[in-house]
Amino acid sequence: MSAQTEQRENIIKLADQLRWEVGQGFHEQLMEDLYTDAARLADRAVTRPDSKERFDLDRTIDRLVTSRVWGFPMMILLFALVFWITITGANVPSGFLSSILIDQLHPILKGAAASIGMSAFLSGLLFDGMYLATAWVISVMLPPMAIFFPLFTLLEDFGYLPRVAFNLDNIFKKSGAHGKQALSMMMGFGCNAAGVVATRVIDSPRERLIAIITNNFALCNGRWPTQILIATVFIGALVPPALAGLVSALAVVGIAVLGVLLTFAASWTLSHTILRGEVSTFSLELPPYRPPRVWQTIYTSMIDRTMYVLWRAVVFALPAGAIIWLSANVSIGGVSVAEHLINFLNPVGILIGLNGVILLAYIVAIPANEIVIPTVLMLTVLVTGTSSQGAGAGVMFEIDSNTTLLNLLHAGGWTLLTAINLMLFSLIHNPCSTTIYTIYKETGSLKWTAVAALSPLALGLIVTFVVAQVWRLFGG
Amino acid sequence: MPDPVVALTAFIVVLVLLIALFAPERGLVWRWREMGRLNERVYIEDTLKHIYKCQMNGRSPTIESIAGAVDINADQAAHLIAVMTERELVVMTDDHLKLTPGGVNAALHVIRAHRLWERFLADETGLEESGWHRLADRYEHGRSPEELGELERQLGYPTHDPHGDPIPSSSGQFVPHGGQPLPSMPINVPLRIVHLEDEPDVIYAQIVAEGLAPGQQIRIISQTPQAIRFWADGDEHVLAPVVAGNISVVVEQAAEKPQPVARLSDLKQGESAVVSGIAPACRGAERRRFLDLGILSGTRVNAEFLSPSGDPMAYRIRETLIALRREQADLIYIRREEAAS
Repeated sequence: MSAQTEQRENIIKLADQLRWEVGQGFHEQLMEDLYTDAARLADRAVTRPDSKERFDLDRTIDRLVTSRVWGFPMMILLFALVFWITITGANVPSGFLSSILIDQLHPILKGAAASIGMSAFLSGLLFDGMYLATAWVISVMLPPMAIFFPLFTLLEDFGYLPRVAFNLDNIFKKSGAHGKQALSMMMGFGCNAAGVVATRVIDSPRERLIAIITNNFALCNGRWPTQILIATVFIGALVPPALAGLVSALAVVGIAVLGVLLTFAASWTLSHTILRGEVSTFSLELPPYRPPRVWQTIYTSMIDRTMYVLWRAVVFALPAGAIIWLSANVSIGGVSVAEHLINFLNPVGILIGLNGVILLAYIVAIPANEIVIPTVLMLTVLVTGTSSQGAGAGVMFEIDSNTTLLNLLHAGGWTLLTAINLMLFSLIHNPCSTTIYTIYKETGSLKWTAVAALSPLALGLIVTFVVAQVWRLFGG
Repeated sequence: MPDPVVALTAFIVVLVLLIALFAPERGLVWRWREMGRLNERVYIEDTLKHIYKCQMNGRSPTIESIAGAVDINADQAAHLIAVMTERELVVMTDDHLKLTPGGVNAALHVIRAHRLWERFLADETGLEESGWHRLADRYEHGRSPEELGELERQLGYPTHDPHGDPIPSSSGQFVPHGGQPLPSMPINVPLRIVHLEDEPDVIYAQIVAEGLAPGQQIRIISQTPQAIRFWADGDEHVLAPVVAGNISVVVEQAAEKPQPVARLSDLKQGESAVVSGIAPACRGAERRRFLDLGILSGTRVNAEFLSPSGDPMAYRIRETLIALRREQADLIYIRREEAAS
């Protein structure tokens, strides 16, 4: 027993001593030799079919899409095309869904509720509040998602997206980030929550965190409608009708480009302050091109997105709808809760060039950016008491005629400054609750979730404030 | 509605105030927390480290040298010595300050913590080399032996920190690196770097800027009182002797003559070569990633095309296209093959 113990002690002592003698690079050397031997064995045993033809085709495509002259123009053109198809293509199904869910099904539900003697309060809460908010999110969000994501996946399947990361990497490198952040940013234009999940392709933790925190600056599908509507009504109205379409489109593109610039600026700031450091690892695989599996891609990405949107609508939009309806219909001292809140928020809103209505809409619309505009309209009617428009307190609606809309908003005290600041604030504010939840799931950290949620909000308040004050200083 | 001028002025005032409060390293909050961190325990641990280093180098620590090393005044240092004597960490014999056996153990514990943290920062984070020492100086304090054991296990029981200093084992054992200062070595003899001194910062920054790392093979070309010229992995370097004195080397036993080495980043578009190795400066996750990609000695690489933004370059490695940034390609050594097509 004791001899055994002694023997063991001796071996351990010897091992301890040898450990120092084998030197520093021992582990690395051993690992490298193992890999090298494995590679040699594989090279000897594996024969590869000759695939020179495909290889040459790949090389030709690569030369073209990464060329100094054509690389960037092709990239911009391709993404412009994707967005154009998404926005124009979504109009038809969006209108179809909204006519079924909102124009037809909603009155039927209300009628059914009345016929079985449901109290006005309950039917208002259920159908005007919860149902309508859910219907809104589905009809605004589902069609663009169902178009954007399959297109995006097709590009990915084909092998083009890694080349985009490759082309843009130097710019991301200069802001201390990873080239693959280009991919999660593009994904963010569809949906920020999806963009945050897409950062999984970035393997170094620091760069991944940067990509997660800055993803919110990619203008998502839920915010495009707000931008387009406000740009058309206010910015387009500044120029002759012939140019209105072009100018308002440029305004929206300008906001999206501002978002991209902010992504770089925020990445740079993060990597020079709280996330200091160099890129720990970088390697980017450029897979061979292959014909995309069109139908499979469309099918899976449609099913995935549909389920996702439905889940999101139920989990987040349903309670939001209830709260919006209740705030407009529950009164304290003869005045609804919503109006109390609006009066309370108004001084702050005015200070940053917005108003109480918009701020309240952004608070109740944290679950889904899609319902910002309907909520703003509903609250404006509530406050101004314009009875010719709207469908009653707490009922969200949209207006088809731009002139009517403009008149209503003017009655609500809107100016050109309000419109510009709303567009800015829509770009720079906290991410929606789905995204916040996703960030928490991906980072597993309350601290980084708070940074990702609150810092864009703070930045948005600062930007709108400065714009408002400078505007008033020079423009009156 | 407030006057825009008033509002903007108030905003700027608030902004300046916030920056003064929260700016990292200079803001009030940061300084205040820093002061809270620097308690007696930290001072004692820093003093132990200082006395231990003095003893290793055969110097005698004084009140003044302690005050300088720990960044306190002489009165505070004298008080600190009194406290440490009381706790039987140091003794005064023949007017010399010495560590007691307990003091040596305590000092080795702090040194172990420091070097393990440096190893961690080098292998597992992307932080800049010049920042490791300062951060390790913060993390080394107040660590229990269990914590360090866990860290050591996580890092795979490393023997040396990234500068080449041995990491004492949990029982306090270690073997010194045994290197000699570079200027004391004969010219034209194959040498290997075993240690880079990381203090003072200014000199270390120069060594880092040259891209030197422990494990590199070097050979002195010429030496004058003003400058020392040497080859390191195929590049020629010139350093002042005072800087070179902080580089420790040993004579390389397996004396194959170090020859000029080309790097993957030297490869122009369309050229190809064979990998001959990975630089010693490349460690941790990055090294593992290279191995995973099959970047091994003997692997053929071909520079295929360059990003339109100027960086990275796409290389064909084992029938796969891999894009590497210039910094990464710098770490891979290659051998050009004239005859190979």
